[in-house]
Amino acid sequence: MSSLLKKIDHYRQLFTEQVSRVKEAREVEELRQAFLGRKKGHLTLLFEEFKTLGPEEKKNVGQMLNELKSDIQNSLAEMEQKLKAPARVKQLEDLTLPGRQLYWGAPHPITLFQREIERIFISMGFSVEEGPEIETDYYNFEALNFPPHHPARDSWDTLYINDTLLLRTHTSPVQIRVMEKKKPPIRIIIPGKVFRRETPDPTHLPMFYQVEGLVVDRGITFAHLKGTLEYFIKALFGEKIKLRFRPSFFPFTEPSAEVDIECIVCGGQDSACRVCGGSGWKEILGAGMVDPQVFKNVNIDPEVYSGWAFGLGIDRTAMFAFQIPEIRHFYENDLRFLRQFNRR
Amino acid sequence: MKISYSWLKEFVNLNLSPQELASSLNQIGLMVESITAAGEDTVFEIETYANRPDTLGHLGVAREIATLLDLNLKTRNWPLKELPQTTAEMVDINILDPQLCPRYCGLVVKGVKVGPSPDWLKKRLEAVGLRPINNVVDVSNYVCFSLGQPIHTFDLSKLKGGKIKIRKARKGETIRTLEGETVELDPEMLVIADESTPVAIAGVIGGEESGITESTSDVFIESANFNPVSIRQTAKKLGLSTDASYRFERGADPNAAPAAAVMAASLLCEFGGRVSKGLLDVYPAPRKPRTVTLRLRRVNELLGLEIEPEFVVKILTGLGLKLKEQGPQVWTVEIPSFRVDLEREADLVEEVARFYGYDRIPSAITPVKSFELPADRKRDRVWRLKEVLFHHGFDEVINFSFTDPEKEQLWQTGCQPIRLQNPISAKLSILRTSLLPGLVENAVWNFNREAEGVHIFEVGNIYYWEQEETHRENLNLGILTTGLRSGRTWKETEKQTDFYVLKGAVEDICNYLGYENFSFEPVEHPFFEPGQGLRILVKNEPVGLLGLLNGNLARSYDLERPVYCAEIDLNELLRKQPRTFSFQPVPRFPGTSRDLSFLVEDSLNYQQIQQQLQKLNIPYLENFLIYDRFQGKALPPGKVSFSVRFYFRHSARTLQTEEVDRAMQEIISQLKSTLKIQLR
Ligand SMILES: [Zn+2]
Repeated sequence: MSSLLKKIDHYRQLFTEQVSRVKEAREVEELRQAFLGRKKGHLTLLFEEFKTLGPEEKKNVGQMLNELKSDIQNSLAEMEQKLKAPARVKQLEDLTLPGRQLYWGAPHPITLFQREIERIFISMGFSVEEGPEIETDYYNFEALNFPPHHPARDSWDTLYINDTLLLRTHTSPVQIRVMEKKKPPIRIIIPGKVFRRETPDPTHLPMFYQVEGLVVDRGITFAHLKGTLEYFIKALFGEKIKLRFRPSFFPFTEPSAEVDIECIVCGGQDSACRVCGGSGWKEILGAGMVDPQVFKNVNIDPEVYSGWAFGLGIDRTAMFAFQIPEIRHFYENDLRFLRQFNRR
Repeated sequence: MKISYSWLKEFVNLNLSPQELASSLNQIGLMVESITAAGEDTVFEIETYANRPDTLGHLGVAREIATLLDLNLKTRNWPLKELPQTTAEMVDINILDPQLCPRYCGLVVKGVKVGPSPDWLKKRLEAVGLRPINNVVDVSNYVCFSLGQPIHTFDLSKLKGGKIKIRKARKGETIRTLEGETVELDPEMLVIADESTPVAIAGVIGGEESGITESTSDVFIESANFNPVSIRQTAKKLGLSTDASYRFERGADPNAAPAAAVMAASLLCEFGGRVSKGLLDVYPAPRKPRTVTLRLRRVNELLGLEIEPEFVVKILTGLGLKLKEQGPQVWTVEIPSFRVDLEREADLVEEVARFYGYDRIPSAITPVKSFELPADRKRDRVWRLKEVLFHHGFDEVINFSFTDPEKEQLWQTGCQPIRLQNPISAKLSILRTSLLPGLVENAVWNFNREAEGVHIFEVGNIYYWEQEETHRENLNLGILTTGLRSGRTWKETEKQTDFYVLKGAVEDICNYLGYENFSFEPVEHPFFEPGQGLRILVKNEPVGLLGLLNGNLARSYDLERPVYCAEIDLNELLRKQPRTFSFQPVPRFPGTSRDLSFLVEDSLNYQQIQQQLQKLNIPYLENFLIYDRFQGKALPPGKVSFSVRFYFRHSARTLQTEEVDRAMQEIISQLKSTLKIQLR
């Protein structure tokens, strides 16, 4: 009996010694054969010998023998796992070399800014409408309460195609087109290209973009106009921006207002400021309550419904927001200008 | 409009600092654009509006400020040194067209010593940017900029027969104006004439002949009212805008005419003048004052406020309106003749709001009572399409809608261009009929500025006459790629762009927008080199073109590199119904693939082979991919080699080798008969 215990001890030591020298998976298999092989494995032979023992001895030795067997099995399995680790891969030489970058095209800054404006209004439940760029005198002027031959038209210097057709000078004709086919409530914005007979200079071009807003419903007030535009401007320029409403004149709104925001370039501190001329304020949009005559022109009863509208120049506002000094950059399409906008 | 602070004080007592006055003016909408110190005076440049001719004189601005500050306007007296003779004895005023001249007032001042104005008068005029000329002319300007009523002074001795006829010009009549230019008059223009010839263009400019000179001693003062539209049309036709026409075309106050004449006459008495007795006032059809009903309820409804009725009464009365209570908090309001802008209740609401202060009106959220889905998905799809192009590395550009007809003509777009009646310049005189010329100009611009490659697109309208009198604007997409696609890096050499960069972008637009049923067919088009253009068809209908830009066109822009471009009709493309998305089960059993290389006649192109492959009717054939095309010396002449990988799959089990073998045999036999393939 003691001889068997000794043998158990011996093989445990032998295994520990041999397993510590294993370097490849092949050697694990060899060890397994040597110790656990079906016919000549060391432990197999010990188990054979164990069978000859009497019942009293079996109890003690059996436990030792089984422990050794499970230790060897565990150890071999562990070793096998360790050696299965992936084959060694080729090392990178210089990880600091630049990665493979993809060039994404840049959206035009007008598109970008327009989408930002749309996003704000869509979040307030507005939908987006569009309309034609070639308009009639009726939609561009008359329906918007510009009498024929009135000097009010001078501020909307027009490019004509013939006596009735023109290039729209503002997005406002779409207000009329929408109100003609849709009953209130109306809650829309209208972005698009507009055209004026302006000789190009740093702040004027014959083509630019506008966005127009229109709300028509029962019980709409000037207070609603103020609240909505204040939210919009803060969403666009940040919570802290200061703004002011002051009276103005547009033929298609009454009362009319203009909205100024504080000059983000100089904060009113530079009397020679290129952007605000030292006033500290920058005119940003025109607005007002829809003129009752405009409602009559589209068969909406101004006694029942009221509404507000606003219009804003996208180019001018983008110039101000991005501090772009000249409007012509937008239409020169210089890639060194355009590509800056895919970082936004 | 320039406003002098000292001049304002002639009408109202003010002791505000210039800054305080400016912010008061801003509050009521007389936006101060600049403040300039001018000696003891301060000059404000204020923005005035086309509907407020009353603010084109210091009196009107003073009235606004007085109302805001709750002050009274000063009343001024204009004493006259009178002659024994009446005006009517000296001149005869005859309005021949009362539509165009509703009122005409006249006075004669005899014995005026014409000379330089006194300093106080010069200072007034200089403050508002006018050049002093002589005391008579300066007085008329002073009256005009005080009251907003233009007046004109004639040398009485030059008015033949002492006759003043207000009539339309006769065909062929001309007049030499005070600016020294001879202008031809047309019969639509209103003139002031004496017995025989025009002496002034009514409301616009006087004639040189009848003007005041050093030797004038007897002056005829005209203070009249003219039809705004007529004055505007005349001024526009003549290309003349004067202080007088500017005021008359906005609508001058007929009731200001007598007072202005008297004021001018009184001032001329300072220079030795004696005034004819009795103002000659011809006013055949006196205008009745307008009345408007105003409800306090409506004021509050439109402004979102609770305003006191006393405030409404105080403000409107201050502005010269007369309120008569019609019912509880309802007034009949009589509008003074100088306020041409006040016609409806809403106009009065604005007056109340202006003086209440826009900044004091509360802010509220515009209530939402219903939600609406967008009418169509077109805008979403346009953005999706742009995203595909950004991903392909194309930058977005925006070009002017107008273009140079000479350049456009080279392109032979086949569209009848729309010409502008009054273009900014000849080079911007038609509307574009294609987006490609603009994109090519952008390429040139950028190549001239260090760019090595230009990959751009534009989404915008083109415009043309569809038929005579029927115009059309159409949303198009233009894409252009030329030059280097990517620069050299440590990993890769530089890459030139090519036709397939462009085509891949076009195909991806169709794929990602769900227009999977697209194809191409060869097309000859003036945009492209012969044999180098394709037409894009979606659901077998043409939607656009793409190809290699015609070399002659490219050279006319000094472009040496090959340029690949496409133009797609987005109205046509987006009108088509995209495939509705439906989920496909993810395969549960492995598929298998087989490659096949074969030779065909080189007259066959990829698309023809692809179409035949699509027609194959083979069980378990899931997909195929043409992965190689080869032509060259190693092949028999007139042949081209294609390699195709076929993918097979069974949805419910793993395919067996024999089944795939049989399928391949079937494919080969079908292709032998349809494409006459030869196996390699
Ligand atoms: Zn500034």
